[in-house]
Amino acid sequence: MKTNKTILVVEDQEDNRQILRDLLGSAGFRMIEAHDGEQALVVARSQRPDLILMDIQLPLVDGYEATRSIKRDPELRHIPVIAVTSYALSGDEQKAREAGCDAYVAKPYSTRHLLAKIGQYLEQPL
Amino acid sequence: MGGRDALVEYVGRIPAPVRTKLLAAFLLIELLLVALGATGLLALREVEQRGGDLAGLQHKIDAYRQMQHDTLRQLYSVSAALAAPDNATLSGALRQINQFGYDLDRVAFVAKDEIALLGRLREEYSRFIAIATRVLELNRAGQTSEARQVQTAELAPLADRLERLTNQLVNRAEADMVNGVDASRATYETSRIYVVAFALGGFLLTLALGYAISWSIVTPVQEIDERLNRIAAGDFSQNVVVANRDELGALAEHVNSTCERLQELYQSLQDASRHKSQFLANMSHELRTPLNAILGFGELMLDGVYGPVPERMRAPLERMQSNGKHLLGLINDILDLSKIEAGQLSLSLGEYSVDELVRGVYGAVESLAAEKKLAISTRVPPGLPPARGDERRLAQALLNLVGNAIKFTDRGEIAIEVETNEDSYTFSVRDTGPGIAEADQAKIFEEFRQVDGSITKTKMGSGLGLAIAKRIVEMHGGRIWVDSSPGAGATFSFTAPARIN
Repeated sequence: MKTNKTILVVEDQEDNRQILRDLLGSAGFRMIEAHDGEQALVVARSQRPDLILMDIQLPLVDGYEATRSIKRDPELRHIPVIAVTSYALSGDEQKAREAGCDAYVAKPYSTRHLLAKIGQYLEQPL
Repeated sequence: MGGRDALVEYVGRIPAPVRTKLLAAFLLIELLLVALGATGLLALREVEQRGGDLAGLQHKIDAYRQMQHDTLRQLYSVSAALAAPDNATLSGALRQINQFGYDLDRVAFVAKDEIALLGRLREEYSRFIAIATRVLELNRAGQTSEARQVQTAELAPLADRLERLTNQLVNRAEADMVNGVDASRATYETSRIYVVAFALGGFLLTLALGYAISWSIVTPVQEIDERLNRIAAGDFSQNVVVANRDELGALAEHVNSTCERLQELYQSLQDASRHKSQFLANMSHELRTPLNAILGFGELMLDGVYGPVPERMRAPLERMQSNGKHLLGLINDILDLSKIEAGQLSLSLGEYSVDELVRGVYGAVESLAAEKKLAISTRVPPGLPPARGDERRLAQALLNLVGNAIKFTDRGEIAIEVETNEDSYTFSVRDTGPGIAEADQAKIFEEFRQVDGSITKTKMGSGLGLAIAKRIVEMHGGRIWVDSSPGAGATFSFTAPARIN
């Protein structure tokens, strides 16, 4: 398993965080967490993750807004952001791309599919 | 036109029932007819009177002429008697003259206008008789020269005057006659003008009344009719404006108030429907969050993230997963439809490849078809140019059709085909399932409608797939339909414009 890659999971639901903890942990990633968009920025700046899994529906600052802030920051903009939305409605993908997300995964995602997507962005040298 | 419309409006505004207005109009016309008749009768009477006057005048002229004739004859016979005086002749002449006095009396009956003239005539006549008598007596007494003197000095001028007076009488009567004829003609002319004017006036008034009353009834009816048509078409915006203050005005008022009530009801129904859709959308979203977690943990378990799964647990775990996914599909359908109904779904337009879209759908259902041992084929014309639309939604529509086909077909095959038309594509899904009776074909596209409860109970489905597909196709400006007969399978098709901008 690949190791020592850090993934920031921005997710407000504890159950979902737990699933990702178990999934990412079993896949050998280090996972750090943020519960909302504001916290996501703070954690991203202090810990510099290799990839961010960004839930879109978040309290306070939503995922689109948080992604825009990350992509405006020259220190952080290189970090790939994968948007995770609940059951996708038309326009979500487009909005995610407009906000600067690199990829897009709709809930319910299959864990295998998510891992494959993450692998796509972490295999490449940063 | 403006004046007549003003009349129509005026008639409309009269605050009386239509029945009263009609009655009044007919009475007015009736009155006009009576007046016309009366005028005609009056004119006739006047003409008749003039005719009587003229006949009287004719009598008078005749009488005066007779008198003139008699006077001349008597004057002649007297002067003849005096010229050859013998007693017998003279007495005869005098008798005749006295006889003439009666004629004068008779004439007096007709001569009303010439009383003075006649009086003078009578006076002169008396003097003439007196002098003639004196001449006669002088002759009898043998004083012939004296008699002749009196005759020439007094009797002759009197005779001249008498002649002139009678002439005057005749002339005056004749002049009266001429005047009478003129007056009669003038009376006739005047009467004719009266009668024609009344007839024409009556005709015009009847026309105007008919026009005003009929239009004051027809116009509001037309307006109300038009209003009702608009209401039927779902437009509650405008009120019908009817100036009438009669039954039609009241009817228009009722139409307006009914329309307002309908609009309120319509509005509240729409609000209720939107709230329902909003509620469903929110609710299904809330339902999904825990379900996603359940599915997520289940998948991790099956993947062995929490350690190896005992062989006995694998099948129940897989059952949990598949039922959970099915539940999620149902919730997604409800969410989709409620989003569409609440107007929250907009198309996300982009370029797509028809071929890839069909291949994607094929890939998603391949394993399902294989499970049921159904053959599945696709046919897409090669080399299609890129299309433009909401690829994900169109794929969802096609997927719903294919999913249904697989669900309801127990043996045989499913064929997915694309045909190109001038500027659109026709996607069709043909199956060898039980088919659909004609009576049910329209119903199946409605939400929450399924052909046969007993079938769908075993087939499991929200019954929303076709309704969602229909909405998606219609949002693209396309059309969806089914060709089928029971026992002969079904072909579901929809069109989608090749490029939407």
